[in-house]
This record gives sequence, structure tokens and C-alpha cells, in this order.
Amino acid sequence: MTPGILVVGEVQNGRLAPATLEALGVARAVAPSGDPIVGFVSGAAGKSAAADFARFGVGHVYCAEDPRLDAAPVGAIAHAVAAAAGAAGAALVLVGGTTFGRDLVGRLAIRWDASAATGVTELVRADGALRVRRSVFGGRAHETRRMEGPRCAVALRPHAFSVPAEAPMALTVESIATADLPSNLIAPRRVEVRAPDRGAGPSLSDAAIVVSGGRGLRGPEDFHLVDELAAALGAAVGASRAVTDAGWRPASFQVGQTGKAVSPQLYVAVGISGAIQHIVGMVSSRCIVAINSDASAPIFKVADYGIVGDLFEIVPALTAEVRRARAP
Amino acid sequence: MEIVVCVKPVPEAETRLRVAADARSFDAEGVKFVLAGYDESAVEQALLLKEATPGSHVHVVAAGPSPRTEEVLRASIALGCDAATFVEMPNAPAPDPIATARALAGAIRALPHDLVLCGKQAGDDEGGLVAAALGELLGLPDFGYVVDLRWDAAAARLRFQRSAEAGQELWESPLPCVVGLQQAWNDPRTAKLPAILKSRKAPIAKVAPPADATGHPTSHAEKFELPPPRMGAKLIEFKTPPEAAEKLVKLLREEAKVFP
Repeated sequence: MTPGILVVGEVQNGRLAPATLEALGVARAVAPSGDPIVGFVSGAAGKSAAADFARFGVGHVYCAEDPRLDAAPVGAIAHAVAAAAGAAGAALVLVGGTTFGRDLVGRLAIRWDASAATGVTELVRADGALRVRRSVFGGRAHETRRMEGPRCAVALRPHAFSVPAEAPMALTVESIATADLPSNLIAPRRVEVRAPDRGAGPSLSDAAIVVSGGRGLRGPEDFHLVDELAAALGAAVGASRAVTDAGWRPASFQVGQTGKAVSPQLYVAVGISGAIQHIVGMVSSRCIVAINSDASAPIFKVADYGIVGDLFEIVPALTAEVRRARAP
Repeated sequence: MEIVVCVKPVPEAETRLRVAADARSFDAEGVKFVLAGYDESAVEQALLLKEATPGSHVHVVAAGPSPRTEEVLRASIALGCDAATFVEMPNAPAPDPIATARALAGAIRALPHDLVLCGKQAGDDEGGLVAAALGELLGLPDFGYVVDLRWDAAAARLRFQRSAEAGQELWESPLPCVVGLQQAWNDPRTAKLPAILKSRKAPIAKVAPPADATGHPTSHAEKFELPPPRMGAKLIEFKTPPEAAEKLVKLLREEAKVFP
């Protein structure tokens, strides 16, 4: 059997998460010669999520259907993934660019004795070598690495790849035993998940569009302008450090070096001057829009499009225009 | 509690990046290295736990090239860490994050460790691999993206939150374990001058990387590139706010192709 690719599935509400589908698309793109692609899922909902693999063209899925894995640390899941990768004779493990995916790759590098890379934006298999491209220094530079050795584990960068078209096929599920998991990897438990205190929008690290507000909004009572534009765009809401430090929004909203790093398709900075602290958290966004009254604000140096004007006039007009443009 | 905290020197955030002559890495000539931002949070967290748990001890460990790695170890001692171990690694070729984790694990195995703390990633290579690899190497559970860490002595459980895609996860774990910190839940302290002066003379244990730090699958940098300089924003000219909005939406839709 040719060394194949194992795609590790993350389950969200019983379905494969979008990040996993992105990884599946990459697997299909780098395996043109028909190298086998297999899937992995774990947890109580494993079998139902396995059907999603078959919907996207992967018919053989390894399943660790152990409910303990639903609230267990990544180390326990890494044991099962390494077992599946071994059983499949895989040469490459691919996982989506989530917090789970990045942690998993670090464990697998040791457990499965593989080279490892995270935040990958391009992956090329040519001349028997695997090369990855990734952004470093907060998106201010890119590096290309050659991955050595017979095994390699890669976590992608969120949103760097698109979800592939469906290609349904028949499904075979193969069980992965988890009886011998070390007890200290099962003892820690996730006891609760609190949905982000941000209303109905997508979460900051997941979102394809982010609208962030800064000190230019003058006070928490005007932050609704950002919320409304975000809602119209279907975007997540972020904030500069000035805003979270002042308590207008909780720290979980902060985009920047000491907050979250985001790389959406579209980033809209409202009333943000663009301190380096903030820039490193968003500069790798595909398209950046800045709205600020100060034409000399550093944010205009990194933005693709800028509107120099009074945000209290511009933002409501933009929200109205977006609603009009998106109306069916 | 015996706490080990792992730190790493990274270029200052304001550093102007240049490509090195070999085109494979960034040019470190004349660059000032500092304690990585996330690692500052890890040191702060270690010191907070030590202050809250009598009889605790904080040992700081770093693996990297001399002298910058010793300097961040001294900076950590100036902040309040009790002892330091330096695993000397070559400057070039730069070891990949997994090789670094193997070197750190070699040093940590020789130390008592109830809790191993790291920054979740460094501001330069952004690998975010070290905490998870350390967990596997030490045979311990690991948790990344952690905030708000507390030790519940009565229950003998570490309680903390993890920032994940689905929201804030609440976890509890017995010791020992490895934790990669997102950021401290209060601002990292700064060192006082007398402590900085004293740290210059503090002893630093020097150890060689373990034998298993090499000979495993690894990765090599082949190219380091800077993006073409951003030319600055295309500024939208307008007479009225609705005109500005209309022009922007048109550009996002037709030129940038990012309008939802």
C-alpha cells in the first residue's frame, strides 16, 4: 500500500468542523496520484461524523468511539491518532488549524516520531519531498520549510484553504482501541464550555470577517456601531487593547500581540490607530479596511482600503450599504 | 509546588526584519532579543502560583544559542525565578521546535516538576509546538491556550480556562501536567533595578542537549521571505458618507473579492 494521508476530524455538533473540511481539501489536492486518504474521528459522535468523511470522498475512517475522549486533553486523542496513523501506514497526518489541531501536531511529533509544522498556508509534495510555507513574525514574513523523515504531521492555517466540493462514496469504519490509554491522560476533564460572551456572531478566531473597534469610538456607549456593522457583514467583533484595557469590552475581544491573532478574509478596523501591538495580530488578514479620522494613523500603512473620515458618519452609512448589498 | 517555566529569546516586536545572506532565515545581526511576550506571562503565572502556594520553587529553563538565551534566563531570575538551567544549542542551523522541545525535556527530567509552564507560542516562529511536544516527552497531559490558572489545594486540582473555538473551556487537572499560556490574567511584572543587577551574578546551570535531541524527523528552513512592502491604503475619495460606503462595498466585491 502506498503511504497515505490521514486527515484528523474535529467534530462540531455531530458534524465535521469546517477546519477539517479545509484539511480534507488539501489532502485531495496533494494526493493527485491516488495516494490513499483516510479519516480519523473520536468521541461518542465519532460514527455519525465519519459519514461526513464519506460525503467528501474519504471512504475509510478510523474511529475511536470512546466517550471519554469528548472531554479529555489532546494527549489522549493523540494516542488514538498515532494508532490510526500506524494502522493506515500513513506518511502524512493533516489537521485543521484550530487550537486542537496545533496541540495535536506537537504531541504527534513525539508519539508518532514525525516532523511537524503548524500554521501552514501552502503544502507541496514534489520530488519525493514535502515543503510547507507558513507565516512567521505575526505575518510580517513567510518561511518555507522542508519536512524531513518518513512521517510528517501538519496543522493548517485557518481560512487559508477552501472547503472542497462534495464527492460522496461508500463508508467503511475501522475501530481504534482506546482501552490502554494512560490514566493520567484521561484524569484531567473539561468540565464546562462557556459560549463566548459575544452574542450570535462567529467566534473571533473562526470568523471569515472581523470588525474591530478602537479608542476612536470614544466610549462603550458607541461600540454598538461596530456591533451593527459586524452583524450586517456576518462578522465577529474584535477590539484594540485600548478598548479592552478600558473595560468597554472583555479581554476575550482583544486582537493583537497579547490578545488573539486573526487572519480573516476581511478585517475592518474602526477608529483604531494601528499600534504595532495591534498590527501583529491582524496584518496577515487577506484584505484590511481602515476607517479613521486621522489620515496619518499608522493603520493606513497596512490597510488595503482606507476611509479618512468621521467614523460616526461613515460606519452607519457603511452598515446601511452592506445591508442593502446583501439583501436577497 | 515545584514549577518549571520554559522561556525563549525572541527579537523585540519593533525589530525591522531583514533576510539573512543565506536567504533561509532572518538576519539577527544587531537585533535585540528579549523574553518572548507569552513567556513573560508564563513567568508571571509561575510567580503568582509560587506566592500563593508556600514552599514553592520556580526553576526557569531555556534551550537556544548563547548569549541571548542566558540573557532571558537572567531576566527571568530578575523577575523572581529561583534557579535557571541553560541547554546550549547551536545558532545555525536553528533547531526546529521539536528538537528544542527534546532539549528542554532532557533538562526538565532532571528537575522536580509538578507543573511545567510555557508560553503558548513564541512571537517569531509561531510554532506553538513546544508545550504539546513536552507533554508527550514527559508522559504528561498538556493544555494549550490557557488563561486564568489557579491551584485548588483542597481538591488537589489545577483549575483553569482554555480559549478555544467553541468558547471558554473550564478544565480541572491533577498534577503533574504541562500548560501553554495564552496570556496572564494580570499584567506581567517588571523587574526592579537591584534584582536586575543581582541577576547578572546569579549562577546558571549549563547542560548539554540529551542524545535524543537529534536523529529524529525534523524540518529545515529553506527560504525566508518578506512580503512586498504594503504600499499603504487606497484612500477612498468621497463627498458624502453614503458615497464612501458605496465605493468601498464595490471595491470589496469587485476588486478584493472578499464581500460576503
